[in-house]
Amino acid sequence: MSYFRITLVRSAIGLPRRTTDVLKALGLKKRMGMVFHPVSQSVAGQIMKVKELVEEVHLERKPDPGYYIEKTEAMEWVERGE
Amino acid sequence: MFKPSSPLFSGLLWKIPWRISQPQKARQRKRLRAVDKVVDTLSAALTRQGQTTKAVERWFREMPREEEMLPRDKYTIFDKKEKTYRKGIHKLPKWTRVSQRVNPPGF
Repeated sequence: MSYFRITLVRSAIGLPRRTTDVLKALGLKKRMGMVFHPVSQSVAGQIMKVKELVEEVHLERKPDPGYYIEKTEAMEWVERGE
Repeated sequence: MFKPSSPLFSGLLWKIPWRISQPQKARQRKRLRAVDKVVDTLSAALTRQGQTTKAVERWFREMPREEEMLPRDKYTIFDKKEKTYRKGIHKLPKWTRVSQRVNPPGF
């Protein structure tokens, strides 16, 4: 899945209340705090509200499944070769 | 040592220089480019998913990019009280954290 990695680089001190609320909704509390959010229209709209304060990277991320499949050596050999 | 001066003697008296300095201008351009980059990343990511957002579309429709902006729009803003109808952008409150790119047409 593709994600945004959002970093808060400028603090929102002294800015309108709405700006702080958007940051809170994104999960950004301190400067240089970093959060990941899936690419979606609602997240995009939120980032647009605080675009002057954040830095963002778009990246693909595959969550760790938390398990692995046991295989015999023969099965692995078949997967690797013909 | 205490040096008596107007800002120190009276309560709320701030002095903002009339002119914006060269390093301030350089940082202003850097910030403009940073905002452009954030919006570009957003739009590229959404396009890959076949989506669009109103806010991003509107930004591209209305706001010029850093390289398209005129120097007078980068470093000054409209002010009806000035004789030339322009004042330095550093007089704008929170000017390093707000997007101020377009001015009234004709000014």
